[in-house]
This record gives sequence, structure tokens and C-alpha cells, in this order.
Amino acid sequence: MTVTEQEITDYVARVRAALADLPPAYRDELTEDLPEHLAEVAAEADGTLVERLGEPEAYAAELRSAAGAAATTGGRRADRRFRATADRFRARLHRWDVQLGPPLGYASAGEFLRLLRPAWWMLRGYLAAMLVTVLTTGGTFGLLPSLNGSTLAGLVLLAGSVLASIWLGHHTPGLSRPKRRLLRVGTAVLVVFGLAGVVDMDGRARSGDFGYEQISIDGRYDHVRDVFVYDSAGRLVENARLFDQNGDPIRLGYPDCLDERDLNGSGNPLLRPYPYCPQQAPYAPRPPAATPPAPNVPPLPEPTTAASPAATPTATPAATATGTLAPAQPSPTRTG
Amino acid sequence: MSLHYFALHTSVQCVDTTQLLKGVLDLAVLAVLREEDGYGYDILRRLREAGLEEVGDASVYGTLRRLFAAGLLTTYVVPSEAGPHRKYYSLNAAGRDQLTRSGKLWRSFATTMDALLDDRGMAA
Repeated sequence: MTVTEQEITDYVARVRAALADLPPAYRDELTEDLPEHLAEVAAEADGTLVERLGEPEAYAAELRSAAGAAATTGGRRADRRFRATADRFRARLHRWDVQLGPPLGYASAGEFLRLLRPAWWMLRGYLAAMLVTVLTTGGTFGLLPSLNGSTLAGLVLLAGSVLASIWLGHHTPGLSRPKRRLLRVGTAVLVVFGLAGVVDMDGRARSGDFGYEQISIDGRYDHVRDVFVYDSAGRLVENARLFDQNGDPIRLGYPDCLDERDLNGSGNPLLRPYPYCPQQAPYAPRPPAATPPAPNVPPLPEPTTAASPAATPTATPAATATGTLAPAQPSPTRTG
Repeated sequence: MSLHYFALHTSVQCVDTTQLLKGVLDLAVLAVLREEDGYGYDILRRLREAGLEEVGDASVYGTLRRLFAAGLLTTYVVPSEAGPHRKYYSLNAAGRDQLTRSGKLWRSFATTMDALLDDRGMAA
């Protein structure tokens, strides 16, 4: 069968247009069997309707004369005028259809558009998937659909809805009239949704904000690269760890210096205590402070501190602190 | 009756067949409906099978409408399992009456025409 549903609709429209001067009720009577008849004609052999039945206007003239059309049954005048206008509009559409065809390289614009139908089915499936995405997530119109935040599920949804749309496209002519009307309404919704989505996306693309959403609620610490803890005496505390009220470690910044402590490879550099880079401390008393009066700690405390940690972990930090603040001093309390 | 149509069809093709059809289409449609009710496309097919190959689709539909409007046919709708519902036409009493009268008229007319042609030495 080479005759399409569209061709039948067009043919009927042109026949009706040619009978536009008749009273509407009478014209409806004359043409009520026409779509079914054309479907039968289309089913019996190949060729276009015009080839088989002649031009719709000629068909209309034959119908009119065979029916002896001169009846003047009722029909409200406004209704009649509306129908006449609708038919004139349809006839004009048909003329445009034919006129626009040759520039496109086809007999009619409709023929060209019919070729694009499968492409429209795919687009329709995509739009349906996007509609589901926007409705379920309440988010904005992006490029890919997603389901419950999962892009993979979104792609499955996309494939499913595209296939369903193609199937529906193939089966549309077999649908009953109410179902077809429903389909038309759904299509209109999708078109409006798609246009609105594209306009929205375009606006966001122009403003440079392409759907990027800040994850952290408070961005004040985004610029932090390292953390330096000072005790009440203004001394840098090394190997500090920060925890929140739940005992979860607070991770800020990222080590951007090479740390000899980590050279033996303790894995994730983010697991290192603060500061990551003690030598970059903003207020560090960098030059070893002139050794304060330290009565009982003789010249170099290293040996004692190195030996003591296991024995007296609490006492040693104080000892080291008072002893030296040398940056290179290895920390004695690596308890963590 | 179909023999007559056939004779008509072959012997006057050089004349305007559609003109002749116009005159007898009412009768042809009534005759086709005498045996069995039918819907538009079905009636058209029966007419063509009977030899009226040049009958126009629109002419048949128009004729059905006119005969219905004249009260010679009744219609009823039959749901079809595949596709849309079909409007069936059937002869009512007035239609059958009309068929009988028109049929007689046609036969006498055809006989006259045959005799006329025979007199002039033309084989049917």
C-alpha cells in the first residue's frame, strides 16, 4: 500500500473544499463515506489516489452532479461560514504545500516532511524522556535524561521511549479516533515542553552557567588549601587533625608540597595531618627561636625526644616545644 | 440484464459511455442492491464486476445519496472487525417498486434500440 493516511486526509479535504458552497449537513452526508472508500481504493492496488480517481475537484464535481445536488437543507449560517473559511484555509495550505515542494526538491512540501517523520519520532521519544526527567527530578532541562539522578537509568529510559515512539509512529494510522486525538494532545504538550526547554537551556548557556550547581552549601572554605593550627602561645601545632561533631575527619585543602614524611608512601596524601606543608605556615617563627632559657634541657633535645615518645607521650611534646621549634624537627607523637 | 449492459458497453464505446451511464446508473445501483445489501465500495465493485467498468467512484456514491434522499433506500451501519464502521444500503419497498418500473422501461427501451440497430444491419 503506497497511499498514506495523509494522502487520504488531503484528498478528503480537497473534495470537501470543492463542495464548500453546499449546506454543511448535506456536504457531510455526501462525503461521510469518502475516507473509508479511499482507504479501500488505496488497499486494492498501487498508485496515488489522484492517479486512480482523478483530481479531488473532479471527484467532487462528479459526486455533486450524481447526487443531483441542489438541496438546500438547513445549517446555521455562522457554522457554514466557519466551515467555508476552514476549507479555504485548507485549500490554501494545499497550494503552499505544492508551491513549496519544488524549492525543496520534492513534488510537495508534505512529501519532504513525510520523509522526516522517523526523525520526528526519535525526537519525540527524546522529548518524552526529558519530560519524565524534569517531572521526576524537578530539575532543569539539560541534555541527557536521568532517572533518580542516575544517568545510566536515564539512558535506558531514553532508549525505551525512543523505541516506543517509533513503534507508536508505525501504528498511529491504526489507532481509533479518540486515541489519535489523545496522541495529538500529547504531541502538542511535548512540542511546547521541548521549545520551552531549549529556550531555557539557551539562556543558561549564554549566561555561562551550564547547569553547574555548587555542592557545598558554604563556599567560604573553598579556597582553603592548607590548615595551620596555633596553640595559645602562638606556636604552630603540627600533626593536628580536625574532626566534626560526629567524629568524621574534616578534610580541607590538598597538599601541594612534597612531604618527606610521606615519601615512604602512606597512600592517600589527604590522610596526612595538618598542616600538609608546615614550611608554608603564614606565622611560623621560621628561624628557630632563640633558645629560650631552658634550664634542664641541654643543647640538643633530639636524642631525648627521639627516645621518649613511647615512654612518656604526654611529656615529650612540651619538652620539644620548649626545646626547639625547628621546622625540620620530626614530630614525636605520631599516635594516630 | 448484464448482457444488455455489456452490449451497450462494447457497441457504443466510441460514443460517450459516461453519458449513457448517467442515464442508467440509478437502475444499475437498484439492480445490484436487489440481490444483497451492500456498502459503497462493495456496490461499486459489483457494478464493475457486472461489466460497468467505467463507472466512476464519485458517481456511485452520489447516486446512492440521491436514491437514499428520494426514499428508495434505507441505510444501516455495520461495525467491521477490521477498520471503520460501514454504512450499508438496502432496497426498501419503494426502491423495489422503482426497480421494477425502471427495469421494464429499460428493457423496452433496449429492445427498441436493438431492433433499431438490427434494422440497419448492425450486429449487436
